[in-house]
Amino acid sequence: MNAGGQEYDDMTHRDISLLLADATDEVEIGLAPVQAVMRGGRRRRTRRWAVAGAVALVIAGSTASLAVTGLHGGDGKRGAPMATQGPTAEERDVNAPQRTVLASGTAQGEEWQVFIDVWAAPRDEAEAREQLAAMKQRGENPGVGRPAELIGKKAFFVWRSFGDSDDLSLLDLFTQESTQSGTDIQAFSFKLERPGGPLHMVIGHVAKTAQRVTCTWKDGTATEVLRAPERQDAGGGEVAIRSAEGLPVDWFVCLAPEGKAYKSAEVTE
Amino acid sequence: MGDQKKTRDEEFQSFVIGCWPRLLRTAFLLSGEQHAAEDLVQATLEQAYVAWRRIGSADAPEAYVRRVLINTHARRHRRRLKEFLSPKGDSGLGHEQPDPGDPIGRADSRGALLKALAQLPPRQRQTVVLRYWEDLTETQTAEAMGCSVGAVKSNAAKGIAKLRAIPGLDETVTYGGRK
Repeated sequence: MNAGGQEYDDMTHRDISLLLADATDEVEIGLAPVQAVMRGGRRRRTRRWAVAGAVALVIAGSTASLAVTGLHGGDGKRGAPMATQGPTAEERDVNAPQRTVLASGTAQGEEWQVFIDVWAAPRDEAEAREQLAAMKQRGENPGVGRPAELIGKKAFFVWRSFGDSDDLSLLDLFTQESTQSGTDIQAFSFKLERPGGPLHMVIGHVAKTAQRVTCTWKDGTATEVLRAPERQDAGGGEVAIRSAEGLPVDWFVCLAPEGKAYKSAEVTE
Repeated sequence: MGDQKKTRDEEFQSFVIGCWPRLLRTAFLLSGEQHAAEDLVQATLEQAYVAWRRIGSADAPEAYVRRVLINTHARRHRRRLKEFLSPKGDSGLGHEQPDPGDPIGRADSRGALLKALAQLPPRQRQTVVLRYWEDLTETQTAEAMGCSVGAVKSNAAKGIAKLRAIPGLDETVTYGGRK
């Protein structure tokens, strides 16, 4: 398309431009989080250096191991496998997830529950292939193009169960970089269509240090979620910030009182 | 050395304050949800901060940051950070309720457009947002997306055709639009 054609195209789709502009009116533009951005940037820079340092250490460690084998007078065939063996202390089953109940309760006379399945990170393609097949059997599809994309990543699936139905709420793959700190928060709101009227649920994750999350509803009221006491499980109907086995972040769930809709969620302590 | 760093930080702060609203709106159209948009922009700007010494002195830091935003969005999509909508009409993310002061029809038309956008494949969505919201030329869009002008034309045509196929969007076009 020449310049004139492009101009014609722009004019033709001016209505789309107006609609897009109108849609962006929905965004709440708060203050730019300048300090948080700079802190995050510094963390990224530090992490880069740390990763570079760790790679150097692994290479140095492998070399040292081979060298020690050599000192024992091995023929090289005995020593080589030791250098390539990964850490074995961690008990892993890549073919079954670890399930943790994050929250439970009763609403509109029905029991509800939010739980998370966390899959250990596969180490190689064979493990990744097996894991992907096991995930799909459970209806948990991480949406990767190739099994190898799972290597070194922990996959999680959050389910919400309401009455008789289970729905997948969100999924993600966690890598080493996926940690959160301070008041970092990632929250997702869901509208649940129920016979007794819609209910709004917020599911999110926060740093391991977060003590309190406040979910604010559109009418200005709020629900506070505190960190669960150690070893208290979520089966008793208490809503709290909880750890999921194997993940570097903790989780919270807010269920809005009936008739209230979600506005925001933040770490307040 | 310390003074140089302080100056760079101050320049970066001014840049963030200046570009935050527009980047947030673009990210909202890409991700369809307020929190996801904030997260996307924050991650983008963090990457810009790491490279600020280089990009702060470039002619158009905005173009660089826009490209980082598009790449970050594409990477997240590949990782499938997905919020699944329940099959029972769960409208999900963020924009499920019209604002009290907003005419219902207006909220509906926004919802229809956002839903339609969310259903586009990511490259088509990115193209539509950059061409028709950011108002970039085809060449600028191609630069932001790291693809050819031909790919931009193709993705834009397909994306727009899909948006226009959404029932009710024509009415929205007739009665809606910017304030």
